[in-house]
Amino acid sequence: MKKMDNTLTVKDLKTWFPIKSGIIQRTIGYVRAVDGVSFNVQKGETFGLVGESGSGKTTAARSILRLIEPTGGDVIFDNVNVTKARKSELLKLRHKMQIIFQDPYASLDPRQTVNSMLTEAMRVHGIVSNKVDAHSRARELMGVVGLSEEHLYRFPHEFSGGQRQRIAIARALAVNPEFIVLDEPTSFLDVSVQAQILNLLKELQTKLSLTYLFITHNLAVVHHMSNRVGVMYLGILVEVADKNEIYNEPLHPYTYHLMAAIPVPDPAVQKKEVLLPGDVPSPINVPSGCRFHTRCPYMTEKCVQEVPPLFERTKGHLTACHYEIDFQKGVRLNEIEYGSSAVKG
Amino acid sequence: MKQNNLILEVKDLRLDFNTYRGAVKALNGVNFKLYKHEVLGLVGESGCGKSVTALTIINLLPENAEVKGGEILFKEEDLLKKSKEQIRTMRAEEFATVFQDPMTFLNPVLNIGTQLEESFMLEKKALKAAVVAQRSQGKANINYSEFLAMKGKEDTILTNETKVSGKEIKKMAQNLCADVLRMVKLPDPERILRQYPFELSGGMRQRCMIAMALARRPSLFIADEITTALDVTIQAQILHLMRELRDTIDASTLMITHDLAVAAEIANRIAVMYAGNVVELTETREIFRRPLHPYTQLLMKAIPNVAKPVEKLESIPGTVPDLINPPTGCRFHPRCPYVMPICPTAFPKTTQPFKEHEVACYLYPQG
Repeated sequence: MKKMDNTLTVKDLKTWFPIKSGIIQRTIGYVRAVDGVSFNVQKGETFGLVGESGSGKTTAARSILRLIEPTGGDVIFDNVNVTKARKSELLKLRHKMQIIFQDPYASLDPRQTVNSMLTEAMRVHGIVSNKVDAHSRARELMGVVGLSEEHLYRFPHEFSGGQRQRIAIARALAVNPEFIVLDEPTSFLDVSVQAQILNLLKELQTKLSLTYLFITHNLAVVHHMSNRVGVMYLGILVEVADKNEIYNEPLHPYTYHLMAAIPVPDPAVQKKEVLLPGDVPSPINVPSGCRFHTRCPYMTEKCVQEVPPLFERTKGHLTACHYEIDFQKGVRLNEIEYGSSAVKG
Repeated sequence: MKQNNLILEVKDLRLDFNTYRGAVKALNGVNFKLYKHEVLGLVGESGCGKSVTALTIINLLPENAEVKGGEILFKEEDLLKKSKEQIRTMRAEEFATVFQDPMTFLNPVLNIGTQLEESFMLEKKALKAAVVAQRSQGKANINYSEFLAMKGKEDTILTNETKVSGKEIKKMAQNLCADVLRMVKLPDPERILRQYPFELSGGMRQRCMIAMALARRPSLFIADEITTALDVTIQAQILHLMRELRDTIDASTLMITHDLAVAAEIANRIAVMYAGNVVELTETREIFRRPLHPYTQLLMKAIPNVAKPVEKLESIPGTVPDLINPPTGCRFHPRCPYVMPICPTAFPKTTQPFKEHEVACYLYPQG
């Protein structure tokens, strides 16, 4: 990977939320929602971030856009360090990086018409010089997202969930972004409508050469949408690889169990039933060593003691596990020798 | 051959919700049968009437609902003709329901043990019988499966004038509580009995709800989106548990879900609902191998499948109709790629183009 191709580079991003208690609201601990995440997103690709609830995927995405202030680490977008940017610089960046939220019933202002939502975004970022231009661009955008011009003068409550999500997409596109964070954009929608939105997003990506960071808990959707996938567990990335590799040849035991847990909409597909015991531990008291050791069937003493680094095993396939494991036979093979190229995970 | 195994039959069920905007025609003639020991998956998008059907069966509908017609035959008796009091008894003795969000159904101020014990204590007679049986067998403890097998045999066990103290009944209930938690694979049941709902994770709460349902020894188990609020690894655990229970408990299950993949994992037969109608119903393998209704066909192509990746998903044009003014005839016709002039005229009859494969569509001969 050449560094030049990267639209976004995230280095050791940390977002901790303080837990306050008592009369003087002393900080007694931290929820380590995102605890050292590093990855990069290349221009024009879709990078999928998957994980179960509480794994920190949404917090990571919002910290990247600085909708939540990160505790530490760097986010480099377009050669600018987002985490250290001043407010005025941030505003300039914001029109290049947009976000589409999960719940289209909460993300649209109920008292604004679609027209005013779209033109407001353009005005704030100085995309258009006058009202006439703004209006013609708003009309154009409606066509792009598959709505009609008459929808411009309606309020959000007059639309269905799928249509609302189209409006949210139009609003993000209004400022000519290069990079869009899609935070569970279809999890509120029915499957028949989900397919429409996913197809629209794919179409727009090729047409407008957009880069996506796609966040979801739905593993089938992320497989359909992404080029590369990062798997999060308890605030860290445990595996990053090309989507086919991560689905067919996972290296981390968590990824393997996650993939095996996906229900397949086809009873003819024979699959081995592998169940992961227990629940995700609390991000307040994270387990020592490898965070997955409390649920891992291949756990050893080393896993309890030492944190495995996110290490590139094969080209472009990074994982944070001390061992090479044969999942079919269910046996632990070799211990991994980390060279000097190891990245701290 | 299956007829004597029939446990529930819903016939042409019609239901409206009266709202200030007009009547929402939520159910438009729902038909299906549920046999003993089977799991029937009721699948559809939001607003298709799958949950309303379940709520009608157990009569937990809101005030503004009005049943317009049809029959719900449970063990050959029409539930719609029963009084509120009778239905209440049946809810206690025959039906058990588990819903999507366990936190709203568990009492936050009582520990799990108290809530679970309450479920058992509803039927003191059964507990009495269990105590008597335990004495006669000279065993240390009666376990849940033995308790399950005793269902309906209480009177034969309790013929003699044996005295059973309240203390003994309570002790029996407590030890069944621990055993039923073991049935749903909760680790360390004695500790969990003392814990409160907030101390448990989502998956554990859902297991407790299932345990409470089992405590009633139901003959009809309604599972309404039980895995929707859970993470995928926990969902796999719960589905695994449901599969195990399907083979051990003496009940039929109505599994309601919006996720065709979840239904595929557990159901014996699948009924696909669209806008208040069952449009297709058949055995699980058959529906995936040979979907007949255009809606089912499109729905299957609209779901991303990891096992069979495609470049572009097939999407169904348009949206689910507004049920205040539903489309006439077949309610799917405005979105259907095979629409014919006959479609908007009347709802098609349910036919069986193949053995045990029901479909309601004009594409198939209306014999």
